[in-house]
Amino acid sequence: MTAVRTAAAGLALLLAAACTAPTPPRSQASAAAGTACARPSGSLGAETPTTVDVIEQAYFCILDRYHAGAVLDARSLLAAGFLALTQELNRNGRDVPEAIMPALTGDRKADWAAFETAYRKVTDRVPDLRDKLAVTTLEAIVAALGDDHARWAHDAGRPPDSYDVDGYGLGLQVSVTSLQAGGDPGAAIPPLFVTAVQGGAAQAAGLRPGDIIEAVNDSAPFIDGRATPAVAALYPDYPEARPVELRLLRQATGRRWSVTLTPGLFPQDPAALRVVQSKLLEDDVAYVRLRGFASDAANRVFKAIARLRTGRTLSGVVLDLRDNGGGSPAETTRLLSAFGHGKVTAYQCTVDGECEAMRTDDTVELLGLPLVVLIGPGCPSACEHFSAAVKDLRLGQLVGTRTAGAVSGPASSYLLSNNTLLGFPSKHHLGPNREVIDRIGVPPDHHVPPTAEDAAAGRDPALAKALTLLHK
Amino acid sequence: MRQLLAVAAAGLTVLAASACTAPAPPRPAGAAATPTGPVTLPAPTGPHPVGTTVLYLKDTSRPDPWNLDADARELKVTLWYPTEQRDGQRAPYMTPKESELLLKGSKIVGVPYDTLSKTRTHAVKDAAPSGRGLPLVVLSPGFTKPVSTLTSLAEDLASRGYVVVGIDHPYESYVTALPDGRFAECIACDSDSDPGFGTGVVQGRAADVSFVLDRLPSEWDGSGRIDRSRIAMAGQSIGGASAMATLIKDSRVRAGIDMDGTTYARIPKGGFTRPFMFIGSPQHVPGGRDISWDRDWKLLTGWKRWLVLTGADHQSSTDLPLLAGALGITPAYGALDAKRAAELTRTYVAAFLDRHLKSQPQPLLDEPSADHPEVKFCPEACGRS
Repeated sequence: MTAVRTAAAGLALLLAAACTAPTPPRSQASAAAGTACARPSGSLGAETPTTVDVIEQAYFCILDRYHAGAVLDARSLLAAGFLALTQELNRNGRDVPEAIMPALTGDRKADWAAFETAYRKVTDRVPDLRDKLAVTTLEAIVAALGDDHARWAHDAGRPPDSYDVDGYGLGLQVSVTSLQAGGDPGAAIPPLFVTAVQGGAAQAAGLRPGDIIEAVNDSAPFIDGRATPAVAALYPDYPEARPVELRLLRQATGRRWSVTLTPGLFPQDPAALRVVQSKLLEDDVAYVRLRGFASDAANRVFKAIARLRTGRTLSGVVLDLRDNGGGSPAETTRLLSAFGHGKVTAYQCTVDGECEAMRTDDTVELLGLPLVVLIGPGCPSACEHFSAAVKDLRLGQLVGTRTAGAVSGPASSYLLSNNTLLGFPSKHHLGPNREVIDRIGVPPDHHVPPTAEDAAAGRDPALAKALTLLHK
Repeated sequence: MRQLLAVAAAGLTVLAASACTAPAPPRPAGAAATPTGPVTLPAPTGPHPVGTTVLYLKDTSRPDPWNLDADARELKVTLWYPTEQRDGQRAPYMTPKESELLLKGSKIVGVPYDTLSKTRTHAVKDAAPSGRGLPLVVLSPGFTKPVSTLTSLAEDLASRGYVVVGIDHPYESYVTALPDGRFAECIACDSDSDPGFGTGVVQGRAADVSFVLDRLPSEWDGSGRIDRSRIAMAGQSIGGASAMATLIKDSRVRAGIDMDGTTYARIPKGGFTRPFMFIGSPQHVPGGRDISWDRDWKLLTGWKRWLVLTGADHQSSTDLPLLAGALGITPAYGALDAKRAAELTRTYVAAFLDRHLKSQPQPLLDEPSADHPEVKFCPEACGRS
């Protein structure tokens, strides 16, 4: 379950980053000619079943192109794959005597050959499980990288009756993000509460922001202050459709009750999905909510601010990045360029420490306005590139809670022979002071955590703090 | 663990994915060729000469959905209609400035910017309308395109006795000429990769169409010639998707045609009985990458057709293939011939309208035709390509 969740949030980042990541240099060309992967071009063909040849291609693709591919112990990938293979056999009640991990030597090609021989021996015994075992094995190999931006996108189903504004799930968001629920929930703190009701089952059941979730499918969401795997059930991915039972507490009334929510499609308001949303606050603050660093995001933010600035003097800009999905490093740098010139916003580095500086575009006009950025765990990847640069370069102040800690590097996609996409970074990301941000995140300058009480009352203390800072 | 491409994150996934693929300029695959000079659009095939005129309407009941500084929605309406007047000045295809903004927006270079303004049309500018009890067809163009890119179809329908109401939806096209020398450029292009974008566009266009139908009687002195019980709508791309959205919302529109447009409007779960026809390129076969026609097909419970044209591309139902030579664009290898594409579009659109607005039997729509082998009847007789 865990890896599934990470996938949900991360794929968006991967695809977005894929737009701008440079093609890896040819000098990293494959040691195993003919198995290396290429960047996709044109539209994907129909997906075909995953075979051992696809796994082989992915294995050498990672070793060739992944930023740490040259130094990682390839045996760890094969061991993870084989472990998953045996577990899948066991889950299906079909363990076989041949399912023994072969001896590996550290020679990547020879080790692959040994692995493939053992793999084929096993799968030949259970031909009806062949496809399933291949998928499980390859997923485990990719997961063994322990990299949020390493993804294998396959079996990309979409509900056949969905519309472009439809979301899928229970129709709610909670105080533990989907990224945390599926990946590292270490930063999540109790209680678990509803932060937004988007529609669907949650809306039909009458849930409201601020409702505390005391149990998910009869399991506690936190034990000893640490989030449990039970939370992941709140973010089902299509085609998961098992009903989820929640025990709820509404603090204002003391009411305790249970609801059963069935995952499904739910319509959303197109206006709420716009990537750039802006409004004037307190007559002199430009508030801009940016939901992702999509193509042209920076120019759209500039236009929105210019419009709010027309005919009045602004005292500052609040940039709300609390539900920003990340995106393009180029757009990130362009947006930063309106707040500072002559700066390095981040470094993208190879495993041997050769770093490319991402410099501000000094042809972008400076806004000359104080900046407050709202951040939290829903700010991964490019959003953390932005936040770290604001902090390190003193371009503004950060308010809220620590960012996601999911910025390993700009991911590129590679086409596998069964028309699935493998994505991962070819360089790793460092902040302007060459600090690692991945996993750790960017802390706010002003820590303003969301609470169930504020959510229930419709208050936004982080935004209130931002306005206070701009009016000082 | 089949969920890697998770729909939980669908919003952002879609956003990110589409951010990677900028909308392609028309027929981008074509190699550059020597421009052929101005084009004359194919002559209309019906018995009537054609007149045309332009109206500007303003809906003060709602703000413009794209230009946040405009507190009313302005619309440009181009009418094509039967006339007795054979002679007179032919209407310009578009002005040099409109041609320039369209070519610049479409990133077409290598030809003079006024090239499209030299295209020769057949409709007589501001000719007096003729006829009685005429059926009406609304036309809505593709995203970034002015409705003049549907002139070949519009003139042909008018020559067959239809009043054609072409709508330019400002800020959704690289150029919309507005009164007083103003030009609306493509503000909507800024957000066209946002999730929910298509849904917003078709909602807005349905409102545009309803407003035009409300106001036409008071705004056009030929309106008395229209039989308002016989109204249909057709469109290309998002304009076709808007035909679906309009039919669902406005019961005055009796039948609709979507030419190669991914659809966005929600058809009531109980089904929808008004006649509807999809005409598409091979990208729009059943089980293809775009799920929207398969989804809608199940909910269309009245007369319906799903036609796919072998060799067609997304622009085949517009004038753009006809204009490719003038723009110095060589059609892709194996592409449907431009004149043939125009002929097929005119023939099948007219057949649909003749059947549903004029109650004339149309054997062409009942089964494949030996004279039109490019037209496949889906879903039964067309495979996934």
